[in-house]
Amino acid sequence: MNTWKLLSAFLKVNVQMALAYRADTVVNILLNIMWLGWELLSLGIIFSNTETIGGWGFGELIALLGVFRLVHTLMIALIWPNTEKFNQSIRDGSMDYTLLQPVNSMFLVTFSRITVWRAWDLILAAVLIVVGVNMSGDTATPLSILAFIVLTISGAIVIYSLWIVLIALTFWFTKFDNNVTILQALLDAGRYPVTVYPVWLRILVTFIIPIAVATTIPLQGLRGELDLGRILMFVAIGVASFLVASQVWKRGLKQYSGASS
Amino acid sequence: MLKVFQRLWQVNWAEQWQYRANLIMYLLYWLVSPIIYLAVWTSIAQSKGSVNGLTANDFVTYYMTLLIVDQITSNIVIHTFAYKVQDGSLSGELVRPIHPMLTNALVNNIAFKGLTIMGFIPVWIVLFFLYKPDFSNVAWSGILLAIPAMLIGFSVGFLLSAAITSLAFWTTRVYSIHEFYYALMLLFSGQFVPLTLMPKIVQEVAQYLPYQLQIYFPIQLILGKLSGAQILHGYTMGVIWLTVSIVVFNWVWRNGVKRYSAVGA
Repeated sequence: MNTWKLLSAFLKVNVQMALAYRADTVVNILLNIMWLGWELLSLGIIFSNTETIGGWGFGELIALLGVFRLVHTLMIALIWPNTEKFNQSIRDGSMDYTLLQPVNSMFLVTFSRITVWRAWDLILAAVLIVVGVNMSGDTATPLSILAFIVLTISGAIVIYSLWIVLIALTFWFTKFDNNVTILQALLDAGRYPVTVYPVWLRILVTFIIPIAVATTIPLQGLRGELDLGRILMFVAIGVASFLVASQVWKRGLKQYSGASS
Repeated sequence: MLKVFQRLWQVNWAEQWQYRANLIMYLLYWLVSPIIYLAVWTSIAQSKGSVNGLTANDFVTYYMTLLIVDQITSNIVIHTFAYKVQDGSLSGELVRPIHPMLTNALVNNIAFKGLTIMGFIPVWIVLFFLYKPDFSNVAWSGILLAIPAMLIGFSVGFLLSAAITSLAFWTTRVYSIHEFYYALMLLFSGQFVPLTLMPKIVQEVAQYLPYQLQIYFPIQLILGKLSGAQILHGYTMGVIWLTVSIVVFNWVWRNGVKRYSAVGA
């Protein structure tokens, strides 16, 4: 109950912040369109030289680009700005005030900054997914769409949990400013199906920094490549990683001693 | 002057060394996309035998050479300089009798490179054993020809980036401008894919732009893929762009400094 109220308050504040810098928002949207153009062009170049990569066709890669953009939006609209604020608050001690508030601190730390204009990226992502799936000629059944949605959510939760663990590490190693860079660096690997990658890279992006769980896997679900057992397994991984992350966060908080004292 | 550079080197090396954890993260960040492209294109080449005449080995050698060339010719001046104009910390450097960009920022970049190369060498060796590329086409003459080409590439790239960074004297949106510049770089430099696989029009235009001087031209020189006429064309372009970038940078810098008024001074 409280959570929703807070979330809408955060959104309101962030909309106001974005409106204060209108011209910047416009420039950012233009740059965003430019990058979309580049992404489509680069896919076009790849597919002017081949019909499939890793068993996936052009349409499927466009859909994958859509799914990738969902994760990318999570990264850029939520993870990046909040991490910046969090690192700052560890350095200057303003984390104390966050902890004093009578709300779950993990929620406060991870949702107080939202780059709102990025919401349009979500629409763009949805368009790419729909267009891509149509182009690929794959038939999406209601059941596979459901699997896709469930897998996308659990994939996002896995990434979110990993993020929590990474920033919680800052409680132990105060000077760990680069806590999310590894996530951001490997994010690019989500643009292409993991089936193209050599084994070591596939293992890295599936199990260690599981970008693929949020990109390739949901799309495999949509294409009906995963049986029920596999889908349930990925959902279980999502739930488990969230539970682990909250535990790590709690342990981390006990380590926190405040920068000012 | 030599003494000035020596002292700047000591300071900047020590400064960069302090941030070595950051450097490792940067290195990782910078390594990922070439390795992804390498994986994508080798998988295509393997399934089809060759792509437009390029075999899997051609792609492996291309991207592994790209890692080296890019390491040498790229620069980070936008990240280490633009904020100084914005927060006013440039003032202290302006009163010194040396050029802030062409001494301090330049040496800082080179110190940064020196350290990242130390981290990069073991990674490259690991990649070498993972992919076992066949570099038998590489000749000493190509490498020797590529060294001045990379120096030109670095100089052109540094001066143009420095000119764009200096736009910070006029606008706070200098990072957006630089992002646009970087997108052009991706398109025309050969960073994404060997330029021969690009659409014809991109290849035509790229020949006359400064971007390929930083990536594609040195790579092809090292790999021994260019004819005499192409080498001559590349070097001519290099000299022209070097001249243009010196003029442009000087002009932007001189006018920018005139506009500069520090915050809180």
